[in-house]
Amino acid sequence: MAEIELATTPKTERAKPAELVQLIVFRLGDEDYGIRIEQVKEVTVTPEVARMPKTPPFIKGIANLRGDIIAILDLEERFRLRPAGRPLPERSYTVAVEAADYTLGLMVREVPRPFTLPLSQIEPAPEFVQDAGTRDKYLEGIAKLPEGGIIIVLDMRKLLTPSEVLRLPGKGASS
Amino acid sequence: MKTRDQEYRELFMAEALEYYDSMSRHLSELERNPDAGPALNELFRLMHNLKANARAMGFNDLGEVAHHLETLFGLIRDQERTFSGSLIKVVFSGVDALGNMIRAVGAGQPLPDATALLDNLDRLVRGEEPILEAEDAGESEEESSKKMELSDLVYIQVKKLDNLLNLVGELVIDRDRIMTLAQELDNPALLATAQHLFRISDDLQYSVMDARLVGVGVLLNKFPRVVRDVAAAEHKEVELTMSGQDVQIDRNILQIITDALLHLVRNAVSHGLETTEQRLKAGKAAVGQLTLSALTERDDVLIQVRDDGRGIDTEAVRRKAVDRGLVSANTAATLNEQAVWAYLFEPGFSMAQQVTDISGRGVGLDVVKLALDSLGGQLRVESELGVGTTFTLVLPTSIAVKGALLVEVEERPYAVPLLHTDTVLSLHPGQISVVGGVFITYFQEQSVPLVPLRQLLYDEGDGPLPLATRDDITGPQQVLVVNYNNRRLGLVVDRFIRQQNIVIKPLSKPLDTIDLFGGVTLLGSGQVCLVLDVPALTRLFLNKRP
Repeated sequence: MAEIELATTPKTERAKPAELVQLIVFRLGDEDYGIRIEQVKEVTVTPEVARMPKTPPFIKGIANLRGDIIAILDLEERFRLRPAGRPLPERSYTVAVEAADYTLGLMVREVPRPFTLPLSQIEPAPEFVQDAGTRDKYLEGIAKLPEGGIIIVLDMRKLLTPSEVLRLPGKGASS
Repeated sequence: MKTRDQEYRELFMAEALEYYDSMSRHLSELERNPDAGPALNELFRLMHNLKANARAMGFNDLGEVAHHLETLFGLIRDQERTFSGSLIKVVFSGVDALGNMIRAVGAGQPLPDATALLDNLDRLVRGEEPILEAEDAGESEEESSKKMELSDLVYIQVKKLDNLLNLVGELVIDRDRIMTLAQELDNPALLATAQHLFRISDDLQYSVMDARLVGVGVLLNKFPRVVRDVAAAEHKEVELTMSGQDVQIDRNILQIITDALLHLVRNAVSHGLETTEQRLKAGKAAVGQLTLSALTERDDVLIQVRDDGRGIDTEAVRRKAVDRGLVSANTAATLNEQAVWAYLFEPGFSMAQQVTDISGRGVGLDVVKLALDSLGGQLRVESELGVGTTFTLVLPTSIAVKGALLVEVEERPYAVPLLHTDTVLSLHPGQISVVGGVFITYFQEQSVPLVPLRQLLYDEGDGPLPLATRDDITGPQQVLVVNYNNRRLGLVVDRFIRQQNIVIKPLSKPLDTIDLFGGVTLLGSGQVCLVLDVPALTRLFLNKRP
């Protein structure tokens, strides 16, 4: 595909072929967040979640997703995005994302939707937005939409390193 | 269950038929191209192996024919004979004779007579012409009617069996679920179908598990050589006795404990047994006795490594544990010998006075412990100073299905593998005392510390557990007594649910680093249930004990 495009595109325009990015977009707190579709395995209504002792509070527990037992994360809690007094909805959705070599479920409050935009619309996130506490920068960038508004694009592979997921509260890191 | 003889016979047959097929193939190749070196070497090797196998099984006539053919191929290889003329005919009839003999073994019939063939082979070896009987015409007709047959044994990759077992595990989980639903809906037709499904999947599960069973002998039989080598290196005299090679166990379990067993055996020769001189001085027989035995006990398989050596010097281990800072001198003095021996399984704990090639590098018994823990097995130690030591590996027969006790804590079910459970108790407050901030009860004249499972699971942080007070106990307490490394611990739970066979799925990353859980299982209700890891719980309790 790419080669054909190169051949037919005049040389002057070669610098900006419209490379498209497909995102799965969902809402956390009051903002839209997106993950590249190739990092998403499936979207489903959140199955029954069993609480898992010895994990940080933002890990809601484990659930059975078609025979795979996966950890379910609440990113609103992880990023402290939930306004006080707004409870988790009764019915939530889970985005199963593929991290390096395992699958994790992200709990979101509204039905996630696909969204396609040119790669050029995603701008690198400013340094100061990144969580200073983490070594890995997990924001891929910020997409500005033509009709206003932004989508914060997360890089799951960096967000969900084991050390990050298991970042236990306080010094309670059990071996 | 098959006898060992039957099993060996089947293995012999499978291998012999395979050999026979390759011989025919290589022979045809050699006929087309008499200089085919690889085919010739292969024929020589096949004959040699067949000879050895046949003789080991007591099929001497078969071995004899193979031996003669081997000799002849040796000569052809060394270019003293050529693969030509009447030799070809005799060799072909020789291989046919082998085929007939193998088939006769398979059918349990007496082996056909091969005197004429052996004579001819002898003549060829001596360089004389064979005496060929003039019934070629009849023979060729027989050739054309010769049947082809396939072996009754199938070789299968362990990986394929693993996959099959996983699928059966999934099936069993769904079956339980359907069973529960059928009971809830109370529809007779559905219930009958569910029960049928239950029986079928049960049979299927046991068939798959059965297919994975092998005799412990496949591992034990490797040990005579190991013992010989270690004994030679340590200048010791050791007599190895083995028993229970027929005991059946899951092949993967054997695989997992291979290193552990190797370690225990080397250890027994290197640390356990004394030199001849020391033995004589101690009034023992000059030759040390080492016994490797397997036996079944209920659903478990026990593998024992027993030596009649010097035994564990409990006081030396106690001193060493204090020296290494594993325990305070005061506490150490109060420990019984089982508790002291538990330190032998700490990483890097070696009792060797000096480092040898075999042992004393600090790669210690912790390896053994780890392997057993990963299987949910147990290790028992018995030892008497000057008399000997016995290590017993308690292993599950199969890793597929485990008996478990389901308990409830804070409205969530948890499964505890039966292998680690001793008993369940319902204690009224009068039976519980508080000693040093820990609840204690007496069971079988032994004091058992009690801890609410809730605290072990849900209390945050690394700090010690809160001091127990009598005020915490109201009403009867449900206690599950678990056992690990000869330490008993009573877990106080909210409720016992039931006993059930469960299929354990491992926790996937990143949660697999939380060692309190050995995995998860799905209950008939579809609920996800965490499987508690008793060794880790025990360790956690020891670390957090106030």
